[in-house]
Amino acid sequence: METIISAGIDIGTSTTQIVFSNITLENIASDYTVPQINIIDKEIIYKSDIYITPLLSEDEIDSVGLRGIIEKEYSKADISKSEVSTGAVIITGETARKKNAELISKEMSDLAGDFVVASAGPDLEAIIAAKGAGVDQLSKKENALVINFDIGGGTTNIAVFDSGEIIDTACFDLGGRLIKIDDNKKIHHVSEKLKKLAESLNVELEQGREIAVHELEVLADKMADILTEILFAEVKSDDYIYLITNHDLKKKYNPDYISFSGGVADYIGNQSHQDNYDKYNDLGIILGEKITESPLYKENNIFNAEETIRATVVGAGSHTTNISGSTITYTSDILPLKNIPAVKIDENEINSEAEFKTAVKQKMNWYNLEDGHQAAALALKGKKNYSFAEITSLAEMIIEAEEEIVESDFPLIVILEHDAAKVLGQTLNRILDHKKSIVSLDGIKINDGDYIDIGKPLAGGKVLPVIIKTLIFDN
Amino acid sequence: MNLKTRLFGEVFSFDSVKEVLGKANEEKSGDQLAKTAAESVTERIAAKTVLSNLLLADLRNHPVVPYEEDEVTRVIQDDMNEKIYAEIKNWTAAELREWILDDKIRGSDIKRISRGLSSEMIAAVTKLMSDLDLIYAAKKINITAHCNTTIGREGTLAMRLQPNHPTDDIDGIMPSVMEGFSYGNGDAVLGLNPVNDGVSNVENILKHFDEFKNKWEIPTQISVLAHISTQMKAVKNGAPIDMFFQSIAGSEKGNEAFGVDVELLTEARELALKEGTSAGPNVMYFETGQGSELSSDAHHSADQLTMEARCYGLAKRFEPFLVNTVVGFIGPEYLYDGKQMIRAGLEDHFMGKLSGISMGVDCCYTNHMKTDQNDVEKLAVLLANAGCNYFIGVPVGDDVMLNYQAAGYHDAQAVREVVGLRPIREFEEWLKKMGLMKNGRLTSKAGDPSIFLNSNGVK
Amino acid sequence: MINEKDLTEIVERVIEELEKEESREAVDQAVKREAKSNNDEIVDITDVDLKKQFLVDNPENREAFLKLKESTSARLGVGRAGPRYKTETLLRFRADHAAAMDAVFTDVSDQLIDDMNLFKVKTLCRDKDEYLKRPDLGKKFSDETLAEISNKCEKNPQVQIYAADGLSSTAVEANLKDIFPAIKQGLEGYNIKIGTPFFVQYGRVASMEPIAKCLNAKVCCVLIGERPGLATAESLSCYMAYDAEIGMPESKRNVISNIHADGTPAVEAGAHIADVIKAMLEQKTSGLDLDI
Repeated sequence: METIISAGIDIGTSTTQIVFSNITLENIASDYTVPQINIIDKEIIYKSDIYITPLLSEDEIDSVGLRGIIEKEYSKADISKSEVSTGAVIITGETARKKNAELISKEMSDLAGDFVVASAGPDLEAIIAAKGAGVDQLSKKENALVINFDIGGGTTNIAVFDSGEIIDTACFDLGGRLIKIDDNKKIHHVSEKLKKLAESLNVELEQGREIAVHELEVLADKMADILTEILFAEVKSDDYIYLITNHDLKKKYNPDYISFSGGVADYIGNQSHQDNYDKYNDLGIILGEKITESPLYKENNIFNAEETIRATVVGAGSHTTNISGSTITYTSDILPLKNIPAVKIDENEINSEAEFKTAVKQKMNWYNLEDGHQAAALALKGKKNYSFAEITSLAEMIIEAEEEIVESDFPLIVILEHDAAKVLGQTLNRILDHKKSIVSLDGIKINDGDYIDIGKPLAGGKVLPVIIKTLIFDN
Repeated sequence: MNLKTRLFGEVFSFDSVKEVLGKANEEKSGDQLAKTAAESVTERIAAKTVLSNLLLADLRNHPVVPYEEDEVTRVIQDDMNEKIYAEIKNWTAAELREWILDDKIRGSDIKRISRGLSSEMIAAVTKLMSDLDLIYAAKKINITAHCNTTIGREGTLAMRLQPNHPTDDIDGIMPSVMEGFSYGNGDAVLGLNPVNDGVSNVENILKHFDEFKNKWEIPTQISVLAHISTQMKAVKNGAPIDMFFQSIAGSEKGNEAFGVDVELLTEARELALKEGTSAGPNVMYFETGQGSELSSDAHHSADQLTMEARCYGLAKRFEPFLVNTVVGFIGPEYLYDGKQMIRAGLEDHFMGKLSGISMGVDCCYTNHMKTDQNDVEKLAVLLANAGCNYFIGVPVGDDVMLNYQAAGYHDAQAVREVVGLRPIREFEEWLKKMGLMKNGRLTSKAGDPSIFLNSNGVK
Repeated sequence: MINEKDLTEIVERVIEELEKEESREAVDQAVKREAKSNNDEIVDITDVDLKKQFLVDNPENREAFLKLKESTSARLGVGRAGPRYKTETLLRFRADHAAAMDAVFTDVSDQLIDDMNLFKVKTLCRDKDEYLKRPDLGKKFSDETLAEISNKCEKNPQVQIYAADGLSSTAVEANLKDIFPAIKQGLEGYNIKIGTPFFVQYGRVASMEPIAKCLNAKVCCVLIGERPGLATAESLSCYMAYDAEIGMPESKRNVISNIHADGTPAVEAGAHIADVIKAMLEQKTSGLDLDI
């Protein structure tokens, strides 16, 4: 049994939060079989205060302010950077579109720990939030189709789980903080998309104008209508299509349950809250109430999310780390490896050795390093039960197909789904005369175009932590 | 005490009561391995003849493991009722056999006498009985016990639902639980043999069983058959346990190999009565099987049947809810084929009942025995006729964790119908409520495990 | 505004999804029809993946139960004929039991032993029956046999590897050709030398003690057929010990079991076994004391 600390940092449109989790690994196999290290427990050990995300301007994040928050919370939690084994920093919602977002995310991940990775993208955000809300577990346990709506300040991230598997995501520019007002009820800032939406509603949103409650209600009502369309409309409205961030859901679903997370979720279905609508100087509370009145809420079974405003940060802290299979081969001094693009080949669709080589080379070429060498991992589905002869020819094929990587300083990385990585690694080592750095992993499912991070060994060197930065739904 | 006889004019003489007991056994490969078996069939019958003439007092006075050396012997001897023993001590083993079979003698008479019997006497009379004798005699004796429900009432046959899984994956265990209940199994106990004996694993499975039992309001018992000390730790951590399980042997040394002794079992029973979740008073569950003492070299040169009888003598002290022999589990070096397995099943069942305990049988075999599923089905029908309290049921007879075959979930209903038996009363009421059984027959819904997936519990 | 092309694509995708679900059953049925109409070809019942089979008539929630069934090899959702098994279930059970019994009661072929350049010796058991009834004899060799082993094998090997039929000849047939070269490759990668491999008929695990002593092997390793279950008759175990000697406690041994196509694949198990043996040689111990 081994317990590691994982950090999750969520830098969102309106708030920034940090959590620390204990992730417990244990060999669940009996003493009589090959080891099988699994994650057996995840426990949140520290939740930070909820901070307003510090901004320098409407399109720039305040790096110094953010750094201050993180350092303060690490010290309050009494956790040092070196104790943190894994985790993720995620910049979400509108904040991800600020001009220095990428830089900040890298800076903060370095600050947070050696293997706390930077991640972004609305699809990943939707998945992480849904996992933090406990939706994947519910879906798995009840074999149910469950849709999570993570409604934050700037965006609503939607994730669809069926029997525990993510099957779809979508993102909309809808949230509680698309409009900010000041203490005198005067409009302080309005997002571009909301401005456009307001035109058809006859609500004027120029800066500095005092806005009435009934006008906010009109806006919130419209937003609730659009969210309702997701599940109920046969043909989507123009406004709906306008508010799509990157893409819509693939089809209309009939969920067994829906759930809400994100800051707005605290005001959905919560009749007893005592907060004034202007507590946060935005639209969030009214939006929550309007959703409660909408068919989206009334005509679905509601699952109460395990986390609401903290769903994304909990998801980032507890649900991003995967563990490789427990019989693997790797050269340890090259770890960790970060931001490695993965090339996925479905070898079952490949008929000849030559075809395999061509396919690998072609895809690897997309990721040429500056000096012309390739730097990508090769992901294969693998086979359930290779013979020794098959493993030998697979290894030979990989080496030929990846000759450029073999000759470069970049390690040879192969990732399989089925359990064969240890023998494949030993075979690669034998053919390459033990002179090339390699990482041969299994038990990890990767899609073409995913980026992965591979951490330092855990559980006495038996496993490696892997974080997959899924981009599956971006085409 | 005469240890000598002639058969067809040939003289057969034996050195000890232990040798007579050993050689009087029906043929078992385990006795041959232990070198306690008769050399020929004639010698076997000669031994039976000598045995039939031994007095019950001779058998009491010559336990196969000495009183001073062995706490199992002490438990058996100390717990005997001396008044009743005094009434029968001058009976021969043959007289005991005929008295039990006498049509005027009822089960209640036998239960009374049973309190004055030692395990060696029980073993002796068993060796003198034919298969049909064992069925006829066992049928007279009803032993009931109560944990959450009452097992052993006349006209009932219960099943242990055994949903084992090769890696204790709860996601793989639960569908097996659902299938078993949908066929009317699980009234004796919902009991899993874990692969991993860790406390947290045991607690986790118990928690899931308890949730399922409560969600569907099933009147039954739950158990995870880890080592008893693991279960005790789980209970102390607050895990829900209706009863404690443990494998036991017929000698102190055999129990040592299982990591238990009388003191630990006593402590466990007290803990179960104090911290367990069941109504009681019967809160223990034991498993046994001919040959287990030999496998740990703890048989003291005694035959495997006599050692098995001693297990029941030990079990009796703890007033168990369930005891079952796992009759063909241990392999062909102990029970070679279907014939030996069936004989041992009938013997063990009768001995358990004559010892006064709630007796069930795991009718089972391994793949290196010369037998097949037909023998399991035969034994089950024979035992149901003999009034066996319960069997073990696994999906289609195939236990994917222990890698052996036992009775199937389906066998429960088929045997009940053929022999005219019902599940435990409260459990049958539940089956009716769930729409799985009507008038003792399965409904069209029965056998559909997916009924447990559609709703949130009993409405 | 969504354009027509996108819309067509969405519709097509939805139809495709729907078709996928229905087509699976349709294909199954077609396969069955085909089998029935073509009298001289009966489907091989052992080809059916039991995890994907669900025979209950009019179930309440077929898909959800099939999903759960993925997590177990238990024979579930089999339906019934009255209170008994459907014929297919009964015959499949009998077929799997037949394979299990054949695994126990047949011998490893001379072909395999020749193909792998092994030589064959026997324990003191005269035949399979004696082997099953007398576990003690399956651990011992005659003096002549020990002399033969000694003559044919390299002495004082760092690692002695041999195979034994144990309780499943099928397991040896199914795995030996893949596991042995994988162990060898792994050990050679660590510069560890292995001795001359051979095959023991009627062998128990504890046959390793006299062999280790006879050859003076540091680590002795036997690849032996496990008692078959119904799920597979092909499961192999690898038992290993450092400085094995007669009378040593069982706790001195390490074992990797469940080696077969649906358990740990033979090649991967072999790669792992090389690591375990390496650890034994480095730590000069085995069993409970070994830290792996």
